[in-house]
Amino acid sequence: MGKAELTGKLGLWAIAASIGWAEPNVLEQHCSECHNDDDLKGEFSLTDLGTGPTEDNVFFWEDSFDFVASGEMPPVDEVDITETERAALVNFLEDTLRLFHERGQPAPYVPPRRLNNRELTNSIRDVLLIEDVGTHQPTANLLGDTLFAGFDTHGDSLGISEFHIEQYIESLRKVVNGVIFEGVQPAVQRFRVPAQRMEFVGSRGNDRFEDAHRKFDSVDIIDMRKRIYFDNFETVPTSGNYRIKIRGTAIDRAIYDEAATGTYHADPIRLRVHLGDRIRDFDLPDNEVFEIALDEWLVAGTRVQLSYPTDGLRILANGNFKFQFRIAHDYLEKHNPELHARVIRDEVPLAKFRSTAPSHWVHWVNYWQGPRPRLFDAEVEGPYYSEWPATRQQQLLGSEPQVGNAEEILRPIAERAWRREVKRGELAPLVKLVESQAPKLGTIGALKEGIVAVMVSPSFLLLNAPELSPADRFAAKFSYFLQSTTPDAGLRQVAAKDLLKDYAAVRDVVGRKFESGHATPFMEAFPKAWLQLDRINFMAPDPDHFPLFDRKRLSGDMSAEAVRFFRHVVENNLPITEFLEADYSFINADLAKIYDVDGVPQDSVLRHYTFADGRRGGILGMGAFLTLTADSLGTSPIHRAIYVMENLLGIHPNPPPADVVITEPDVRQAKTIKEILAAHTADETCASCHRTIDPYGYAFENFDPQGGWREAYTMQIAKRPGREELQRIAEEDKRLADLGLPPLPKPWLNKPLPIDATEKFRNGESYNNIVEYRQLMKTPTNRHRFVRCFVTKLLTYANGVEPDNYWEIEKLVQRSAEQEYRIIDTIAAVIDSPLFREERLDLPEATAVLAQTPVQ
Amino acid sequence: MKINRRTFLKGVGGALSLPLLESFGAIGSPTPTRFLVVGNPLGMHPDNFFPKTFGQDFIFPETLKSLEWLRRRMTVISHTDHGMVSGHGRELSFLNGILPETAAAYPEKNISIDNLIARRTGSRVRFPAINAALERGIRMSWNSNGVEIKPFTDPQKLFDHLFLNLSASERKTRRELIERNGSILDTVSDQLYSLRRNGTTADRVRLEQYETSVRELEGTFADRENWMDRNKPTYDISEHFKDYEVTVENRYNAIFDMIGYAFETDLTRVATIAFPNQLSYTDVDGVTRGYHACTHNGKKPEIIKELVNIESFQIAQLSRCLQKLDAIQEPNTEGTLLDHTVVLFGSGMGYGGTHSNRNLPIMVAGGGFKHRGHVNGRGTDGNNMPLCNLFVTIQQRFGIEKDIFNTSQGSFDLAHG
Repeated sequence: MGKAELTGKLGLWAIAASIGWAEPNVLEQHCSECHNDDDLKGEFSLTDLGTGPTEDNVFFWEDSFDFVASGEMPPVDEVDITETERAALVNFLEDTLRLFHERGQPAPYVPPRRLNNRELTNSIRDVLLIEDVGTHQPTANLLGDTLFAGFDTHGDSLGISEFHIEQYIESLRKVVNGVIFEGVQPAVQRFRVPAQRMEFVGSRGNDRFEDAHRKFDSVDIIDMRKRIYFDNFETVPTSGNYRIKIRGTAIDRAIYDEAATGTYHADPIRLRVHLGDRIRDFDLPDNEVFEIALDEWLVAGTRVQLSYPTDGLRILANGNFKFQFRIAHDYLEKHNPELHARVIRDEVPLAKFRSTAPSHWVHWVNYWQGPRPRLFDAEVEGPYYSEWPATRQQQLLGSEPQVGNAEEILRPIAERAWRREVKRGELAPLVKLVESQAPKLGTIGALKEGIVAVMVSPSFLLLNAPELSPADRFAAKFSYFLQSTTPDAGLRQVAAKDLLKDYAAVRDVVGRKFESGHATPFMEAFPKAWLQLDRINFMAPDPDHFPLFDRKRLSGDMSAEAVRFFRHVVENNLPITEFLEADYSFINADLAKIYDVDGVPQDSVLRHYTFADGRRGGILGMGAFLTLTADSLGTSPIHRAIYVMENLLGIHPNPPPADVVITEPDVRQAKTIKEILAAHTADETCASCHRTIDPYGYAFENFDPQGGWREAYTMQIAKRPGREELQRIAEEDKRLADLGLPPLPKPWLNKPLPIDATEKFRNGESYNNIVEYRQLMKTPTNRHRFVRCFVTKLLTYANGVEPDNYWEIEKLVQRSAEQEYRIIDTIAAVIDSPLFREERLDLPEATAVLAQTPVQ
Repeated sequence: MKINRRTFLKGVGGALSLPLLESFGAIGSPTPTRFLVVGNPLGMHPDNFFPKTFGQDFIFPETLKSLEWLRRRMTVISHTDHGMVSGHGRELSFLNGILPETAAAYPEKNISIDNLIARRTGSRVRFPAINAALERGIRMSWNSNGVEIKPFTDPQKLFDHLFLNLSASERKTRRELIERNGSILDTVSDQLYSLRRNGTTADRVRLEQYETSVRELEGTFADRENWMDRNKPTYDISEHFKDYEVTVENRYNAIFDMIGYAFETDLTRVATIAFPNQLSYTDVDGVTRGYHACTHNGKKPEIIKELVNIESFQIAQLSRCLQKLDAIQEPNTEGTLLDHTVVLFGSGMGYGGTHSNRNLPIMVAGGGFKHRGHVNGRGTDGNNMPLCNLFVTIQQRFGIEKDIFNTSQGSFDLAHG
């Protein structure tokens, strides 16, 4: 069907007539040339709009509105459209969409979904009133959760299978066994651990590193990969409270150069105590004995281990710690030539293995003076209990549990777990379970089975189960959104009393949740999901070309930067537009090296830093974004464009058709990415989408795969081959020439190619570099898109399903704008929205009449 | 008699006292057909995987070199795929042709071919299927609920699962545990009934998923009770771990050997083995980079070389396993164990370097098929063959008399017998 026939088919007249507009004319006049059934530019034909928006085609209306409102469609260079016509078109699309949505959509509804592992462990913790699920890693057997665009709360992606159920039962049993136990109170024991009884995990006492760093009264941790355990207290024998004392100190903080070791002199020398997967870190003072004192509930089977966490000491060679010993050689050579000469004279010739090269690491192990913790001794005392049975057990079962009280005992546990009141008689199946198990397992054993069953129940494992009252459902959603756990009794009561009915009330509670730190789970999980930080190591920069990124584990710093920035915006309740528009971020000395900025204190702490050059600040300048969108050797303006569009502007371009042949990047050839991708603009099938997509990405071309600034492409330059290889290549070229084929590429002859980071958007706006691009991101259109995208992401995280009511999201954008886009107010507005509350959408009276007008 | 790996190896090609068959009614029953799938998530470097010519007499390309001994006994299919658009995340449709997000449209969701066959063959054996990988899976195996099956990622755990027999007291404890878990599931089922009654249609989908899971778990409890008192075959993999260094290679050797032995003793008839992206292959000759990074080689010859080394390593592991299967004569019938094992190697991604999910690298061997060498899957209409066509042929080989599987449009011509 060509353009001529379109008029009849396009039934937009009906709507237009009903509200007295003639804009479909404009639409047809300016859009049908490219968007008809024969020519589906951007995979879209005007006939996709049907005779007006319906459930099935509203998506096309929304996209059309977005493209026209942004001025990208109709494209200024290709279509002759007046400003008046364009404005009329925007109004028409906007009003049509609004009418559609206000005509009364069914109430948004969020189906049940499984708790993800993060929510599950938090919830178990709060149901059982303990500090965490236990140090014996009882949930290590659970399957990992599948993410959807970074989100771990996405209902469709959180499948459930018989395997899941069985793993849940196993995990829950292990957790409950760490809380409730029978028998007589175990006696307190004391274990003294002198340095000689501190052993390294996985070694059999014959490791040359370790022997070298033992003195009669101390042991040093030199290798950050190794962990110490106590030979006479390897694992916790009986669950209970333990007091652990460790005496240690930090030594040799600043003997070696920072550049050599990759550790900053100002960074703390830390001792990490691993209690299973519960971690306690302590900064050790220099050269004075410090006593660490811990008092922890440890579950039987927990391993107690010590390590020295540092991101340094991996700088030399391939990053393996052992090569760092060469630093000892270099240091002695310069600062203690006598000792250096003596080692070379007396020790190097005696080495049985390895190189006789004096600087080889193997000869200098004994002389290592890098920063490290030194441990003298430790003492473990326990298990002790403030009462018996232990308090945590009595909190659940009372002091003298009976099978006859099973219902009383299980009721409060079930109410916490199921996030609602438990009706009379509802626990009958559980009581029956306890009664039937009691003869075999005893009273306590049977009650434990009851507790496990409470949490295997779908009412616990499935969020938004249908039995919840509207108030309980709201409280649960609220709690999982901000706290990733089951709602506390206070929140449920407030909701039950109808005290969270309006925005002001919600805003008040949200504010308090953030101030009290209860919303920390949201502050950590949401930015990771939204910015897809899980992708950061999927395609890390090549370690040969970007050694610092690999050796100093910069992906961790970059993720931390993004999360830190997010926390800053929340803690100061700043406008969410800061993410897009800020000229600052939070960086440490390592990131400063990548970002090439001066004046940053030489340590690992992330601090506020303002970028004066207009190139960085906010998400658009963050290494996390720039590297997770890049390949290991090269960068892709398209990947970066798609990331900006999908995660920051809420535009979802179609993926390329399946039969498209994508050229493989060839870093050897002397072509810029723009030249290689010229095909996109030459081939019409590609061009119709890529002319829209590519301008969002080219601006970032000055950023290399690890997010550092570059003035030219240098990756295509290779080392000149040896003479024989050159000879071989010459012969091959001759053979190819005889066949009439082009010669082999000669990447060592390449000159660095200039970078072209200029582009023009289809609405006519253009930029010459990243600085100008960043200015364009601040236009009202892009700011609006960003806010829209952000609230959409919040709703996706909160509901576990992407919202699809265009107009309600639009209202949220308005409410955010009314609050100057402040983040906490915006989050509160999201919670107050019908899309979160799952309430039937209001039908404003003014539009009610229009809505009744029959369409067609 | 104790059969350890040494005696197993010694017996290859010579007389070996036959290991005891696991399955019920093993004596006199027809020789079972097994299904082995080996896959990766990043495809294969096409120039080094697809032979340059079609037919039986092609020159074995670099990656396939270790399979040269299988000439005329294998089929490489080019120009076949699931019609997926480019990008990562679609390779998980390798064995079903359907992405999880569109699975709801199919009655059995995105069930993968290995699970369909395991359901057919599973009731006769102790383990309907065995899924293995190192460190993590590649999401290729999916059940009829649309949930992925998690593979064993630790050879030691796989060993315990397959071969470790429980002591009498462990059996008693295990039996009691099954009983206790059964009671918990009963309790939960009671509750589920009232939940479903209150739920809307939208609720029911997920509640049903939960309920099906509970039912299936109850089913496996019953199966496990049946098998519990029967001893598993004896096996020993310790040899693979004697060396100072435990490498990717000897861990994969152990996995392949265990699965070969599980086929031989009829512990299972379906197995999948995956080579994940995240695994470090730096033990493999000349490999210094990450697997994924090697696919994005920018056509640098030295990085392509690393990639081809990783890919050749995968094929060589498979080849080594097939050689062992081929050395075992099936009792009471013609042919070797390999002749009674349908072997499928491939990926749901064409080639990582281009992110293409077209033109998947696919190789079939064994299974008593009359193999065809290198076959062009592209039809006269210029379209690539849906890979599900091959799966139709495979399901029929296992007696599933249906001529469609998910997105198939016919079958792949591969006769057997």
